[in-house]
Amino acid sequence: MRVVLKTRPREKPRIPIEAEEIIPQNFLRKDDITVYYGNKERSLEDLFFVTIEGPAVSPDQVEVVLTGETGMIKRVGEYMNAGRIIIEGDIGMHCGNFMSAGEIVIRGNADAWLGREMRGGRILCEGNAGHYCAAGYRGEKRGMRGGTVEVKGNAGDFTAEYLSGGEVIIHGNCGDLPGVEMRGGTLVVGGDCARPCGNMTGGTCMVFGKARQFLPTFRSNGSQEVEYAGKRYRMNTFRGDVANRGKGTLMVRA
Amino acid sequence: MKVEDVVCPFCGCLCDDLVVEVEGTRVVNVENGCTLANEKFMGDHRLKAPIRRAGNAWEEISYDEAIEETAAILLDADRPLLYGWSGTFGEAQSVGVHLAELLGAVIDNTSTVCHGPSIMAIQEVGHPGCTLGQVKNRADVVVYWAANPIEAHPRHMSRYTTFCDGFFVKSAFRERKVIVVDVRETESSQVADEFVKVNPGGDYAVLSALRAIVRGKRDLIPATVEGVSREQLFRVADLCMSAKFGAIFFGVGLTMAQGKYKNIRNAIELTEELNRHTKFTISPMRGHWNVYGSNEVFTWITGYPYAVDFARGIAFYNPGETTSVDILRRGECDACLVVASDPGAHFPRACAEHLARIPTVQIDPHVNATTHLSRIQIPVAVTGIDAEGTAYRMDGVPIRTRRLFYGNYPDDLDVLEKLYRIIREARG
Ligand code: SF4
Repeated sequence: MRVVLKTRPREKPRIPIEAEEIIPQNFLRKDDITVYYGNKERSLEDLFFVTIEGPAVSPDQVEVVLTGETGMIKRVGEYMNAGRIIIEGDIGMHCGNFMSAGEIVIRGNADAWLGREMRGGRILCEGNAGHYCAAGYRGEKRGMRGGTVEVKGNAGDFTAEYLSGGEVIIHGNCGDLPGVEMRGGTLVVGGDCARPCGNMTGGTCMVFGKARQFLPTFRSNGSQEVEYAGKRYRMNTFRGDVANRGKGTLMVRA
Repeated sequence: MKVEDVVCPFCGCLCDDLVVEVEGTRVVNVENGCTLANEKFMGDHRLKAPIRRAGNAWEEISYDEAIEETAAILLDADRPLLYGWSGTFGEAQSVGVHLAELLGAVIDNTSTVCHGPSIMAIQEVGHPGCTLGQVKNRADVVVYWAANPIEAHPRHMSRYTTFCDGFFVKSAFRERKVIVVDVRETESSQVADEFVKVNPGGDYAVLSALRAIVRGKRDLIPATVEGVSREQLFRVADLCMSAKFGAIFFGVGLTMAQGKYKNIRNAIELTEELNRHTKFTISPMRGHWNVYGSNEVFTWITGYPYAVDFARGIAFYNPGETTSVDILRRGECDACLVVASDPGAHFPRACAEHLARIPTVQIDPHVNATTHLSRIQIPVAVTGIDAEGTAYRMDGVPIRTRRLFYGNYPDDLDVLEKLYRIIREARG
């Protein structure tokens, strides 16, 4: 089954839409999908032109395509557990919150909290991601726990905060404090970043560009070779964050 | 008439020992107050009556008309924002939260541009704090980190720290050591026993280094950390560890610098580490008078201290998403009610521009920068001068403020209750 959701013109296009019901499994068994437009609950048809083609007997056979002005739509793919979502343009905050399986492909940019506390599945963002990519909610002690988030462009500050499992790959640059408080999983930064892994206690982070303002509380632990994007690189290896009795591994290109 | 034990309505110190002389509906003299207090009591920029924008001019309207029009604006909005609240008293703040719930609005207070990151850090790792009385009577080491109390909280040092003797600190000036950490020299750094000059944006690394030192990992520390020598870091750590009672006060220089709440978290974790050696506490230097109270009131009612989004009928909180600066910068809200603060003066330009684009209503006694962005302004009594109510000091102590005289203005509570009643009737 292929579900195409094209946004209708909106009088106030900057007002966010909250659309956690846009997940493949809902199109199999629900015909009363609603979304929030600001403080008003609306039917899906009020805000989208909806086209459904072909049958499906299980959620993994459902593909949802979002097109149009999608940059202010939040929470798409929340708790998704099967199927596929393709976003032709940009997407708003919290895309793929808590998803456990399936795939989300974003052809444009993703706003903050992409893949927040994700447990499994795959997110591919072909543009840039905002702050808190693959991180946790406020006060949550565990961020992303499983699955893969891959960003072809750059990501903002606090990428993979509280990362606990799974793999986060940012091919471009990250902002400030990627991997802050991380405790497990793997974070790969293809480009530059600032102050990686402050307060980390576990997991592995590899920075293939420059690590600016490198924190003084990481203990040197030799060097090793690592493969990234088909090439081998020599990486300086550190253990830390010592300020926090951390036993994480931070590698920075030599 | 002289009124004693008056509470100052300006900064988070809420000094409660002022003597104010009143003639009719005017304050003519203030004793014990700092220059900020004098200006607050004696300044005279009050708006005389409600005003509404009429083309390029303003027209005076009645209170009823202004409140009814405000209600209509808010009822018509799909994403209203109710911002401010720190300059008013708890009872009015409480009506504001109920109004936000009724409207499905976002309600936020000035923490969003000051100590919001402090609260986020406290939510992550807790708060080893204490009252100012404890500091005054016990602290023999005081650290001001990225704060300049002599200029921002002028009586903090004379009432609680450097220049104030306490029960266990008989001669404060000799017995208390004061450490100031900042990116530049200030008036406060000039009276410090130890001034630590950190590179801008370097606080997080310095805090991490101090944590490692206190933990006994001195061998790890390089010759300098963000402009601070290893020797000075060792000296500061030793001073703190040998204190009988230490108190860290941090300012907006730490909360709003690179790293934001992670700086505060690191400072709290340093405090926790120091508590393995001695007694140490940490407290934010809350600036905007009753901002602490707005956090308290919001939290009683919603569970969250600021940036509370009621769009879906239940409270949702996520700084960065539901904070006013972010909402305005993204151009999300389509109406705004500003109460007891001045975002026109404090917010980034893009936010001020959005406030000017949408219908913005301000409830405030004074003509200020936000007036110029507003469609309607409703003047009210000044809390602590001609209105009374409960406010919270920066250390979380509630204090009842006095009304010095009965003036001609309604207070925030009167206006907000009327607004609430109209909106509740309209909503049925
Ligand atoms: S220090 Fe603050 S509360 Fe005390 S008198 Fe000055 S402005 Fe008022």
